[in-house]
Amino acid sequence: MFEIIFVLSAPLLGGMLQGIERQLRARMQNRMGPPLLQPFYDMFKLIEKRPMIVDEAHTVFAIMHFLTLWAVVAMLVLGDNLLYVIFLHLLATIFLVIAGYSVKSVYSHLGANRELWVLAVYEPVLILFAVAFYLLEGSFSLQSIYSGQAHLFALLPLFAAMVLVALIKLGKSPFDAAHAHQEIIGGVEIEYGGVFYEFLYMAKWVEYIFIYTLFWLFAGSNLLLGIVLLAGVFVLLNLIDNATARIKISDLLKVGLIWGVGLAFINIVGLLYV
Amino acid sequence: MFKLKNFRKRSLWILHYNAGSCNGCDIEILACLGPTYDLERFGVLNRGNPKQSDMLLITGPVTYRSRERVVELFTQMPEPKVVVAVGSCTCTGGVFSGMYNVEDGVDKYIPVDVYIPGCAATPEYIIDGVLKGLELLEHKSKEIVKPKKLFKKLSFHKDHIDRRGIAGKVGENDGKD
Ligand code: SF4
Repeated sequence: MFEIIFVLSAPLLGGMLQGIERQLRARMQNRMGPPLLQPFYDMFKLIEKRPMIVDEAHTVFAIMHFLTLWAVVAMLVLGDNLLYVIFLHLLATIFLVIAGYSVKSVYSHLGANRELWVLAVYEPVLILFAVAFYLLEGSFSLQSIYSGQAHLFALLPLFAAMVLVALIKLGKSPFDAAHAHQEIIGGVEIEYGGVFYEFLYMAKWVEYIFIYTLFWLFAGSNLLLGIVLLAGVFVLLNLIDNATARIKISDLLKVGLIWGVGLAFINIVGLLYV
Repeated sequence: MFKLKNFRKRSLWILHYNAGSCNGCDIEILACLGPTYDLERFGVLNRGNPKQSDMLLITGPVTYRSRERVVELFTQMPEPKVVVAVGSCTCTGGVFSGMYNVEDGVDKYIPVDVYIPGCAATPEYIIDGVLKGLELLEHKSKEIVKPKKLFKKLSFHKDHIDRRGIAGKVGENDGKD
């Protein structure tokens, strides 16, 4: 029952999380920051604006992206196979990339290109993440991970790699070149306006829930460890976001492939042979 | 009572455009958005994307080179929207008035809602002006607002307003110059 409520309210929870995050980042910079419910105010305002469609297919793909991500969260919480979840998440990203290519806009194409580049960095890590749990649990079954013991200490290098993935996926500096606002004006999201931008905006909230639930898996059935872990990751991500500047997309690829995939791979080798 | 209209003044996304200013006012605007003056506490974000913005913050006296850009950016913003002219040169031409390559003020091209004086406008003025714009936003309708020059008739595509068609014609001689 609790799980179903969690899945149904995933976008709401993600919005709350983003509100808390904006407040936290403001406090880190020693300023007041927006109210906690600011993401929802933005949402209502976007709904009320005059609608604007650039291209029908473009708009439909954004809605598909949002719905698929929501399904990903549902599968991650209620489903049974971690590998399916990772691949369905890949499908959601592909919808976003197709959306980016479906309009005649240079920045949108650039954004879609970059989306594919960063995909090449984080997707191997996510798959190795599933493999690591397979090696420890003997299956990809999510329910056995949720009810099993905490694997955080066997998976420390992978945990570091996942922090890197979270930075890329949630668009935090130094790894936010895919959505860089001052550079390519948001990339894929540039051509959306009004209520249709709302879907991409909410997709970001669902992405938050997806990433943090992945971190939850490290703690297994240990509730206390899970809460400490999530709070720690939340503060850490925002600290890194506030303290660093964006790096170029080519450097992102290098750092991501060497450190992200490298650490995850070392972890797998360690699990196999040590 | 819960009304969607009430949220217009809770959340404001800004498009900032420099129509040939000396950069003095632009720096003040960025200072307002930064930690010291913290405009984000009113829900203000600098989006830099006309399709997602509610307010056009414009600086500079409008040089001949930037006229079409101003009009085009304005037409790309979905209604309701407000325009805030920041700095004396944006309001009247200021130190540039009467020069051979500038227009005196942005209101010859697009309707302006709030004028912020000062050369450069101080952050306090800018914050006041932006909040004034927020109040005006509540009374705006969702009708299409037309620029005053460089703009032809609205074009339609299957009963919808065709913004791409409009943007393609921005800058063609409209017989008013
Ligand atoms: S008002 Fe003065 S300081 Fe501001 S942009 Fe114009 S010339 Fe520069």
